[in-house]
Order: sequence, then C-alpha cells, then structure tokens
Amino acid sequence: MSIALYRTASLPRPLIFGGAILAASLLLAIFPSVFAPYDPNAFDYAALLQGPSTAHLMGTDNFGRDVLSRVIHAYTIDMQIAVFATVFPFLIGTVIGALVGYVGGISETIFGRIVDAVITFPFLVLVIAIVSILGPGLLNMYIAVGVVGWVFYARIIAAEVKVQKRLDYADAGRAMGYTHMRIIFRHLLPNAITPAVVYWMTDMALAILLGSSLGYLGLGAQPPAAEWGVQIADGKNFMATAWWISVFPGLAIVLTGLGFSLTGDGLAEVLRTKK
Amino acid sequence: MSDVVISAAGLRKSFPLPHGLIDRISGKVPLAVHALNDVSFTLHRGETLGIVGESGCGKSTLARCLVRLHELDQGEIHFEGTDVASLSGPARRAFNRRVQMIFQDPYSSLNPRMTVRVILTEALSVHAMRPAVEIPARIAELLDLVRLPQDSADRYPHEFSGGQRQRIGIARALAVEPEILVADELVSALDVSVQAQVVNLLLDLQQRLDLTVLFVAHDLRLVRHISHRVAVMYLGKIVEIGPTEALFAASQHPYTRALLAAAPELDPSKRSRKIAAKGELPSPIHPPKGCLFNTRCPHAFDRCYAERPQLTDRSVGHQAACHLTNFDPKDSLK
Repeated sequence: MSIALYRTASLPRPLIFGGAILAASLLLAIFPSVFAPYDPNAFDYAALLQGPSTAHLMGTDNFGRDVLSRVIHAYTIDMQIAVFATVFPFLIGTVIGALVGYVGGISETIFGRIVDAVITFPFLVLVIAIVSILGPGLLNMYIAVGVVGWVFYARIIAAEVKVQKRLDYADAGRAMGYTHMRIIFRHLLPNAITPAVVYWMTDMALAILLGSSLGYLGLGAQPPAAEWGVQIADGKNFMATAWWISVFPGLAIVLTGLGFSLTGDGLAEVLRTKK
Repeated sequence: MSDVVISAAGLRKSFPLPHGLIDRISGKVPLAVHALNDVSFTLHRGETLGIVGESGCGKSTLARCLVRLHELDQGEIHFEGTDVASLSGPARRAFNRRVQMIFQDPYSSLNPRMTVRVILTEALSVHAMRPAVEIPARIAELLDLVRLPQDSADRYPHEFSGGQRQRIGIARALAVEPEILVADELVSALDVSVQAQVVNLLLDLQQRLDLTVLFVAHDLRLVRHISHRVAVMYLGKIVEIGPTEALFAASQHPYTRALLAAAPELDPSKRSRKIAAKGELPSPIHPPKGCLFNTRCPHAFDRCYAERPQLTDRSVGHQAACHLTNFDPKDSLK
C-alpha cells in the first residue's frame, strides 16, 4: 500500500524521461526554424561532405546541406507521421474492439477471421503493397497504415473488454437499466483501454520507423523534404566516407523511439487500475 | 403482507456447455448445466424472503433471472401482474429501477475508475431521479443513509474496505428508490464483524424505506435472523418454503434437515456426528431422475427414484417437495 501511494504521489521515472524527450521533440517539430542554424534545403557547394565541426555540428551532405538543420526540420514530418499514422488506427480500433468484445458471438468470429487475414501478411509488406497501389506520399501512407493498423488495437481492446464485461460492475450497470452504449464506453472502456494506450506509444515509435523505411524506399516523404528515412537513404552511398549523413538521422529515430517507449512504460504504471 | 409483488412460475434456466466441432462429429449430445429446474414462488410486499442452499444450487442464477441479467429458458416472472420478459425500452428501464440488485463481490461490483460521487450521480441522472442541482444534496443524503462519511463521495472504490464498498453498492441501489432489493450473497465476502453491520443496515433500511428484499445466502443463521420466509433450494429447485420459524423448527424436507444438522453448533455438548446427507452434490449437468435429492437422502425409497415430488402444503404457508409427509419435529437430526 505504501509502495502504491509512493508511486502515485510521484510520477514514475520512465514517464519523466520519456515525457521530457517527447516534449523536446514536439518543440523542435513545431518551431524547427528557431533551433535550426541553417536552411535545411540550402545548397552550399563550398562545404560539401564536411565532417562534424563547430560550423556544422553534424557535418554536411553531398549538396552541402547542414545535417543538423535537416535532422531538426525532419522532426516536423516525423512527429506528424508518429501521430497521424497511429491516431486513426487507435480510435477506429478502440471503437470496433470495444463493440466486438462486448457483443461477442458471431461478430467475434467475423472479427477473428479479419484479424487472421491481416496478420497473415507481414505488416510492412502489406503497407508497401497498399502504398504502391495508392501512390507514394504521406497521405497515402496514413491511409495504408490506417487500413491495416486498427486491427491490432481492436484485438487488444476486444480481449480486455471481454474480461471486463464479465465483472459484476458491468452487470450492475445492466441491472441499473443503463444502455449498452453507456456500459461499453463509460464503464468498460476506461478499464480496458490502458494496454491499448501503452501499445499506442510503442506504435508511434514503430510508425516513425515505418515512415523512415518508406521514406528510404521512396514511398513515403519525397525528396528533398527533410525526413530521417530520406536522409538515411541520401547518405547510403557515402557511408564509408561520410557516415554522419546517415548516422545522425538514425540517432534521432532511436532517441524519439526511446521517448515514446519510456512514456508508454510510465503510462502503464500510472494508468494501472488500483484494486 | 399478502400483497404479491413478484410471482415466479416454472422458472427454468440452463447454460449450454461448449459443444465443439469434434463433439458434433462424434455425435455427442450437447450438454448443459441445469441451473434452475422448475422454480416457483411468490414475493410479498414488505417481506424478506431468504433463499438458502449449497454452492451451485442455482441461488445466484435465480437472483440474476429476477433482475433480467439472465433470460429465462422457460417460465414467467410477473411483477405487479406484468410479465417481466415482455418489457423493453422505457418500461424495462422502469422495471430495472424498481427492482434493484446488490452484488456478492464488493471488489468487482464497483467500477474502479469511478468515484462514489460519479457512480451515484450516474444512477440519479440516468433515471432522472432528481434535477441536476439537487444531486449533490441527494448524494449526501444517500451516504448518510448507508452510514458512510461525507468525504467518501470523492474517493475511489479501492480506498474503501469490503464492508464500506458493500454499503456503496447499497447506496447505488437505493439511489434509484427501488421497491425490491435482490441481495445476492450480500455479506458472504465480508468479515463476520462487518457482516452484522451491513445486515443490520439492510434491516434498518428495509423498515425505513418499506423495501421488499430477496436475500440470497448460504448462511442459515443469517437467513433465519433476517427473513420472514425462507426458501431452501437444491439443484435448481425449491425443495421447501415457509415461514422462517416453522421451517427451522419443523422442517419438512430431508435436505433442509440435513442443512440444519450440518450447521456448526457452538455448544460442544450439542454437537452431533450424525450424517444427515451422504455423498456429494450430484452434477447439475446430469440431475438425478425422480427426486433430485434421492442420491443423498437417508429416507429415499422406490417412489423417490421414479417420480419427482412437487411442492405440497404442509401447514399454513409452508410447503415441501417430498414424498414423505410425516416428519416429526421432535425427531430432529440433532
């Protein structure tokens, strides 16, 4: 009990660290020009492929663009990808999962088959296939991820709602004469949503990876946009001689991913139902 | 007392067991747990009817069928003359308001993410019991009624003890001003000292608010203490029902006598080693033919294996379902 009190009184450490990283990332994403020393797309033929120095902290690429400025400006796109590629799957999956978990029966069977069909394909392959059909670009990427990604959230929520609906408080709601919608969304969902929120945080980290992968493959953000995946792709021909072009965007991905994962961990702790 | 509010006739409820593809191919008959086998009784306004029986005898199923948490397979429950199963929409909500249930497990029956205030406000506003401005005052009143301190309102269920939670459950039920309370094992999850508090609270509320109570429990002494009438259930059937004192003093069914004999006696000189019912409760999947109690009854004879006895009058308001009708009150098993 004293441990539980202590933990609720002060925020868990992962949440503090993760939250700090995300807050900084958001700041960079919203005001990139304030922090970036150079224009991310300005060519400087006098300074091609220069290593990290005081003038260019992360060096320059093959067009003389400042890598640091490009990494900072990429926050705008990559944080956007993290949010938009996951928020719709999260919302749609939550609603469908809650309904399926509550209603059960035939809806659950149908849902189970859809899940099977989707998870049969590797996620990335499926997304790449859909993006190839729709055409490259960020919007189409959001659509592709949304079409596939809701399934994972729905599965988590459905399983959790199924457990919660058997508890007496759900029966108490029914005995009170509450509507099914009220029981599902006001009573069961708040008790079922924690694992989905935690997964959402992890998923945002994965979405950045996915966005970068698609950027790297030329299916996501299009050059010359500053995006970490695009940057890594730009640097791949110079890996042996100018490692900084690819490595620094890579580190940015790692750091942001870490921020999301730590936040997820911390949220799991804070949102845990007290018994 | 004679005003019947609920009458139940021929209630049957069974829960099918999983019947998979392989079972179907191999030609197995689908199995079901027979939770209620032809239960009939009436509930009179203002009375407390105690329902007792061993675990798995269908007590909770009966309670849940009464508030329509389960739908019946057969039989009808009439509430003030209306068939409960026919209610839908607003009429059903009105029925739910007037017939409330209190649950057994104080730990799972309250939503862990809602404060007491939210729980009570929801009940009050959904049923439009009070205009919004009067809700805080009504919540204070309800907390008073169940003897919880006023500062409980803004706390979460996990901050309360089992007994306090059970009182929150009672407050929630009372918020909608019901006429009938179905209490399913209200105190069996609580410490003995707390049981008394909660039970006495219930008795007090019953008098003050003129409630009709269906009290489901397995504790005989508790049921005897609070009930006007008692019904004894065995394998989903009422085997004896009657006024509390008549039933305890002159039980007319061997199962009731077995239950009474099995209740632990505090006075060591009165302890008995006599076995009143042999063996275990038969499986409710395959209930015995004839009398349901025939596998364990010390008095069973031919007829008990062939014909299931129905409830018949033994004295005023006292019925038992047994082929033997001459149980001598003095021939107590103790």
